[in-house]
Amino acid sequence: MKNIVREERLKKELTQVQLADLVGVSRQTIFSIEINKYIPSVVLALKLSKALGKKVEDIFRLEASDKG
Amino acid sequence: MKFLIPHRYKKPGAIMIPLGFTLWMLMQLGYIKKILVYFFGEPELNYVSTVYNIVNAVAAVIGFFSFLAGIFFITFSKERVEDEMVQRTRLDSFQFAAYIQLIAVIIGFLFILIMGEKGESRLMFFLAFFIILFWISFIARFNYILHVKYR
Repeated sequence: MKNIVREERLKKELTQVQLADLVGVSRQTIFSIEINKYIPSVVLALKLSKALGKKVEDIFRLEASDKG
Repeated sequence: MKFLIPHRYKKPGAIMIPLGFTLWMLMQLGYIKKILVYFFGEPELNYVSTVYNIVNAVAAVIGFFSFLAGIFFITFSKERVEDEMVQRTRLDSFQFAAYIQLIAVIIGFLFILIMGEKGESRLMFFLAFFIILFWISFIARFNYILHVKYR
């Protein structure tokens, strides 16, 4: 799964810490989501999309390897 | 997580592990008695020898249980921010520690089988080592993932 959390966060001029505080997670979680090392839960994905003002499907995209 | 203790126990745990382990090892290697003899002389009377043995035993108990308590504090204390990634990392680290311990047990028992009587005399050491190895593996991986890899 790929995401554009980092790009959207930078558009909003937010630091990782600020975004982490907005959605109630640690900075390390935001960092690992941005480098595609951690796939967030549905709840966290929805929180992130709300904080970034985008739809979930605009931020998180399935890759060819994810499709079952 | 319902069964975690507050974050403030991490620092005491980090101090108790090395201190407790050092004290325990000093007792195991006979250095407690050597220190007592150095400062107070050889035990010429029975009761002095008994006192030395009691001090030795107390040092062992304090050292060993401080070490275990330190491991408990580090393992089961919350992170500053407890989120889903921390919880998943905690679960993965337990699985990792289980793998490491199982592999070590297999290697350890093979060693005992091959070494025969010499190996059997090390059995108690191996058993203690296997138990501790689980927790040390967990602590190492958990903290590596959270504080080194994804810093």
